[in-house]
Amino acid sequence: MQYDAMTFRNVSAGYKQRKVLDNVSFTVREGEFVSLIGPNGCGKSTLLKTAAALLKPLSGKVELFGQDVQHIKPALRASLLGVVPQKIESPMAFTVDQIVMNGRISSMGRWGTPSSIDHDLVERSMIYTDVLDLRERFFTELSGGEQQRVALAMVLAQDPKIIMLDESISHLDINHRQEVLQILMNLNREKQMTILLVSHDLTLSAGISDRFLLMEAGTLVKAGTPVEVLEPEVLSRVYNCDLHVQQDPYTGYLQVTGAIDSLRHRQKLNKSVHVIAGGGSGIELYRRLLIEGYEVTTGVLNRLDSDAEAARALNIPAVLEQPFSPVGSDAIAQALKMVGDADAVILSQVPFGSGNLVNLTLAEAALNSGKPVFLAEGIATRDYTEGKGALAVTTRLMQSGANAWHSMSELMTHLQQHQYR
Amino acid sequence: MKRINRSEVCADNSFTTQSRSSVALRMLLFFAALMVLLALSMLLGPSGIGIPDLESPSGSAILSLRFSRLLMGMMTGAALSASGVVFQALLRNPLAEPYVLGVSGGAGLGATLTILAGTGVVASFSLPVVAFLSAVVTLMVVYGIASQGTSGQPSVYSLILSGVIVSSICSSIIMFLVSTASVEGMHNVIWWMLGSLQPVSAGQQLLSAALLFGALAGIWLLSPRLNALALGREMAHYQGLHADLVIVIGLLLATLLAAIAVSLSGMIGFVGLIVPHVMRAIFGPDHRKLVPLAALGGGVFLVVCDAVARTLLAPVEIPVGVVTALAGGPFFLIILQRRMKQAWIA
Repeated sequence: MQYDAMTFRNVSAGYKQRKVLDNVSFTVREGEFVSLIGPNGCGKSTLLKTAAALLKPLSGKVELFGQDVQHIKPALRASLLGVVPQKIESPMAFTVDQIVMNGRISSMGRWGTPSSIDHDLVERSMIYTDVLDLRERFFTELSGGEQQRVALAMVLAQDPKIIMLDESISHLDINHRQEVLQILMNLNREKQMTILLVSHDLTLSAGISDRFLLMEAGTLVKAGTPVEVLEPEVLSRVYNCDLHVQQDPYTGYLQVTGAIDSLRHRQKLNKSVHVIAGGGSGIELYRRLLIEGYEVTTGVLNRLDSDAEAARALNIPAVLEQPFSPVGSDAIAQALKMVGDADAVILSQVPFGSGNLVNLTLAEAALNSGKPVFLAEGIATRDYTEGKGALAVTTRLMQSGANAWHSMSELMTHLQQHQYR
Repeated sequence: MKRINRSEVCADNSFTTQSRSSVALRMLLFFAALMVLLALSMLLGPSGIGIPDLESPSGSAILSLRFSRLLMGMMTGAALSASGVVFQALLRNPLAEPYVLGVSGGAGLGATLTILAGTGVVASFSLPVVAFLSAVVTLMVVYGIASQGTSGQPSVYSLILSGVIVSSICSSIIMFLVSTASVEGMHNVIWWMLGSLQPVSAGQQLLSAALLFGALAGIWLLSPRLNALALGREMAHYQGLHADLVIVIGLLLATLLAAIAVSLSGMIGFVGLIVPHVMRAIFGPDHRKLVPLAALGGGVFLVVCDAVARTLLAPVEIPVGVVTALAGGPFFLIILQRRMKQAWIA
């Protein structure tokens, strides 16, 4: 028969003046493998601390095997519940077997002399976690994965009935994560150990957990089997981003994936802007415009130009000319089409020479068709054309209604004003 | 426990009980060295090197004086060193030491007040008590300042910073008291502040010895828990300790030890820093061994420093605090620069 290993009854908990857990209730049955999920700062760690009686609940109570955890003697509590923290740090050069022996501290006598039972449990947990070979090494010398296995060995040496892991495996590489999870699954399946795992890897957890607990802002949103909890709508709301859940038709495994695309265009403005840039003058401009939610096009740029590279990386449509060549008429024709689709044209602080002077005709075309045009100030200092051709053109453009900008924030304000006009 | 089936694990525990022969050898060498050093310090003194003529009254007086200084040194050194071990473990900080944390300064302030306030039997008995109380208050102030605005444990640097500040405030107040005191009081306080192992009254020695053994025994009882607390308060709690209780008791006992040392011999710095680190480097950080070994080592270290102090420029006696500081200052800098690999990796 299965017992209730851990029960939260209407628990609210937190720190001075700040309530983190709000009226949380759930039950974990003995022998269950439960994953606790939720975005950063939703109270998962606080929940673990409350379960381990490190924090006293403000109201409600936590029970371990039917006893109020606040009233369980510390030594008994350690034999019921072990906690593997995110990371343990040993300030002194303890060897691995000394660290693991710490797991027996509460059951050793007054003089801290381990009995043969203590030795047995320590050896067994070191064998289980495969750290026996490391036992004479200094804990601080070990790699992160090895340290985490030693921490698990230490907690196993407590011989607890429940193990809670606080994101203990999130920063392990895939090989060690797999290994630790395998150990946990063995403990769960063979010894009916109850496992509560705080996890950020939803896909991985879905494969191994009996149940999920989903938290959001200090409350328990959903509890149930992976299929029940991993609903795209709920997850997308809780994690505040677009998430998809797919079920593998053959294995039945659930896979949770985020749509990267949705991150960028957070609020689409349905406005597009054409940027005339070059020589690296456009990179910051592209970035800001994308963040603000504009569709961005650019050109004409020379291939290999850093702005061309940036446009490619940011997936911005661009008209490109051969490297170090003057901008040709084909390219200009293409760019004119882009300008025709754009709502505004921005000229970056690009220097002008005979090769790219023709790009200014794009601005002129936009102005003629009544679109707002924004020119970076100080053209005179960047004009390398014979006879100051660029300066002449821009002066003419300013006279026919183009705007000047000198700082990014000013430009963004201008754009917004035009957008709502 | 009942679930454990003995047969399924290795019955001889050969994995966790390694051969202890190298440890035993080291221990043997250590004790031999201590004995030699103690014997040597009995032979050294401003009156000359060697055993004085026991037949003459002056010779036996010299020997008994050397012996009582040895006892003073053992007590003070043991107290300072054990206190350092506990502070370092509980604050998880390689630089923690009663002197650096301002605890000695606070105890010194209390002791100065007592010395100036009265003489005689009452003063010599109240000295350790007042020193202890003022040390406790100082520790609370330092810890309070350092943990301002942080949740949980204060950082290494804020602790040391506030310790140094509080310590210098204490010594300024001592200076003020000294400057307004009578000539005799000034002389007493300054001699005491420089740190010296001049034997105090028999009554105070007995009281201090009793308190010292009590505090050391208490710390030894705590020592297995100090191991667990080295991994932090949270982890110790998860492993079934009354973590907060252990920390409070440990800090109080360590403060008591520092106060005993200060009231016996004045301000002697760096013993609580050097000796624990050296002992940890030799015997490892297991506090069950470290606490008694560091107490012993600290005592002998101070006795040797005292022998050097009274012999080097004889008949002029260098204050022993100067010798320990000269030996300890550079050591402190080395620790700051690179934590000793064997002793402490932080």
